[in-house]
Amino acid sequence: MKIKFKVLASIALVAVSILTLGSCTADADSPGLEYMPDMYRSPAIEVYVDYGEVRGTEIKDMKNRLSALVPPMGTVPYYGTDSATVSLMLPYFRKANIAFKQTHGMYGADLTMVDEYALAIADKNPLRLNAENSEAMFKQGKELYTAMCQHCHGEKGDGNGPMVGSGAYAGVPNYTERSVKSDGQLFYSIYYGLNTMGGHGSILNKKQIWTLVHYVRRFQNADYGKFDATGLAVVSAVAADTSKVTK
Amino acid sequence: MFIYLRNWCFSALTFVFLAGTFTAQAQGDALFKAKCASCHQPHKNGTGPKLFKVRQKWADEGAKDGSIYQWVNNWQNAAATDPYAKKVSTWAPSAMQAFPELKKEDVDAILDWVDAQPEPGAAGADGAAGAAGDATTDSLATEEESSMGWVWLLMGVIFFIIIIAVGGVRRQLKFAAADDAGEEVNEGLTYSEEFRTWAWKYRLYVGLATLVIVMSAIVTLFLRGYAIGVVEEYQPSQPIAFPHAIHTGTNGIDCKYCHNSVTTSKSAGLPTVNVCMNCHKQVNGRTPEQQEQIAKVYKAAGWDPAGAGKYTGKSSPIVWNKVHVLPDHVYFNHSQHVVVGGIDCKQCHGDMTKMSETAKVQPVSELNKIEGNIVLTRPTLTMGWCIECHGEKEISTGAIDTRNDGYYNEIHKRLLNNDKTLYGNYLKDGKVTVSELGGWECAKCHY
Repeated sequence: MKIKFKVLASIALVAVSILTLGSCTADADSPGLEYMPDMYRSPAIEVYVDYGEVRGTEIKDMKNRLSALVPPMGTVPYYGTDSATVSLMLPYFRKANIAFKQTHGMYGADLTMVDEYALAIADKNPLRLNAENSEAMFKQGKELYTAMCQHCHGEKGDGNGPMVGSGAYAGVPNYTERSVKSDGQLFYSIYYGLNTMGGHGSILNKKQIWTLVHYVRRFQNADYGKFDATGLAVVSAVAADTSKVTK
Repeated sequence: MFIYLRNWCFSALTFVFLAGTFTAQAQGDALFKAKCASCHQPHKNGTGPKLFKVRQKWADEGAKDGSIYQWVNNWQNAAATDPYAKKVSTWAPSAMQAFPELKKEDVDAILDWVDAQPEPGAAGADGAAGAAGDATTDSLATEEESSMGWVWLLMGVIFFIIIIAVGGVRRQLKFAAADDAGEEVNEGLTYSEEFRTWAWKYRLYVGLATLVIVMSAIVTLFLRGYAIGVVEEYQPSQPIAFPHAIHTGTNGIDCKYCHNSVTTSKSAGLPTVNVCMNCHKQVNGRTPEQQEQIAKVYKAAGWDPAGAGKYTGKSSPIVWNKVHVLPDHVYFNHSQHVVVGGIDCKQCHGDMTKMSETAKVQPVSELNKIEGNIVLTRPTLTMGWCIECHGEKEISTGAIDTRNDGYYNEIHKRLLNNDKTLYGNYLKDGKVTVSELGGWECAKCHY
């Protein structure tokens, strides 16, 4: 009887030690041991951290329910106190067409029955190119284009980006073959989207979009935005050809 | 002679005919790309419906003869005269552009070319299936590894039980043998008393073994202690199995397209679902596994992919799990490192173009393998790691001028004005590191 109990006891000991060892296996879902967890999980709010449970207390109202939101419609980024820049960053005054509700989402946006895309043909690019700022503008445009547009539209704007090359995406137009659009319509298309292309107004601010409008013009005319020694533009601004506007 | 001439004529005619077909095809290809491709695809619905065998479809479903050509020239005229065309016009809210310049032959050339396009399923799925296959083998391998661990543990338990059982039997037999021989049996001797006698008998070996066990216990304790606060290999499960390799590797999307606040903000930012939908409106996955994951994006965006697809307005948020967790008392700013420091994402996040799983904290040994990275020794996301890099990294060209708002200009000015010997010391090794311009000051990161 005594021996039997000892066998049982040793088996229990073995079982406990195996369970302890077993708990050491690596779990990719666990961040590992923390030194002073209260310093890691402080109640001060940090982005993307779930505060549903802090210091062992569960707070249902603080539970992380979503990760990313677009800024509310009409949000103006802080851009200093220079009035020219500030007025440039004011919300875009053209509204998306009512049809965009089904094709482009546009949750929470003001929609209109008017074809504002057609009206946008009259809009002028508020960023004026001159001999001093042109080079910097195109340098910045290239950076933006590389990050935001190139994967579809291609490095040369020919619609052969890596996404098209890999066969994932189709139907990207070639800027160089397209009939010339007005600056305002280019802006409208980048901001709200066009056909399959989605709107980029949530990830690019207005200054960045107008910079891109300048940048893509150079795909249509290699001399666009270049200035000669006397400071005169080599080509005057690409004229908006109203007869050949493609949608 | 005559037969020869006839044959020659015949082959020449065949050639002309074939060449004609060929040029018509090429013309169709060019016209399709120029006029149709931004909205239509041969085999997939997009802004416009798919065009594969569309003439036959119209004929089968009772469209008037020739109304499809009228439709291309001006869809409103066609819709006015043909009830079927009227029905087609309700397919999507966006109206088709009019192409009055396309003649019947042109439309036929386009649609002939479209009908000749093979279904992409067979060829296209290969690459994606390969990638998905790799991921499956990976997860299988890790599963096998962990199940192997349990096999060893189980075998250990079995052997331990056998040893105990055999020991017990041996003891019983010893008592029985002693009993048989008529010797006095000391049944009062317990296991522990017996063990103590045995241990004293072999005290040299027992002592050595104890020393080894104690030493390894101490070493283990220290190693476990050093692992506190190290989050290498942390890879929380995510709501959507997001393959970075396909997005940034195969499709060449810049990191900044999705993580677009990285140049302006403390946080690199997760993309909102409308950014996902900029591509996924069209890209719905080639394999069933991919389609299942992308369906989650559609659910989040409130997008109904049936037919032309439309936004329903019933969206549901995605909750991602944070991967790179820093203690709350550490301040880290992405834009400072990316814009002023000019550091590439892969210095800290590894080569995401090859990462087919969801994001994880890369161990420093993996980061060191990447070309162009500063080689570091301390574990990722520890203070030692930060400090080491601040000591190694030269400040980027442009950080001391006006291009990046001259972040270090002030410190540079003070060094020039006050103590030239200090500046001289900094320049002795030919480079100015971040730590020399204040990168090791406590209050840079802790405040």
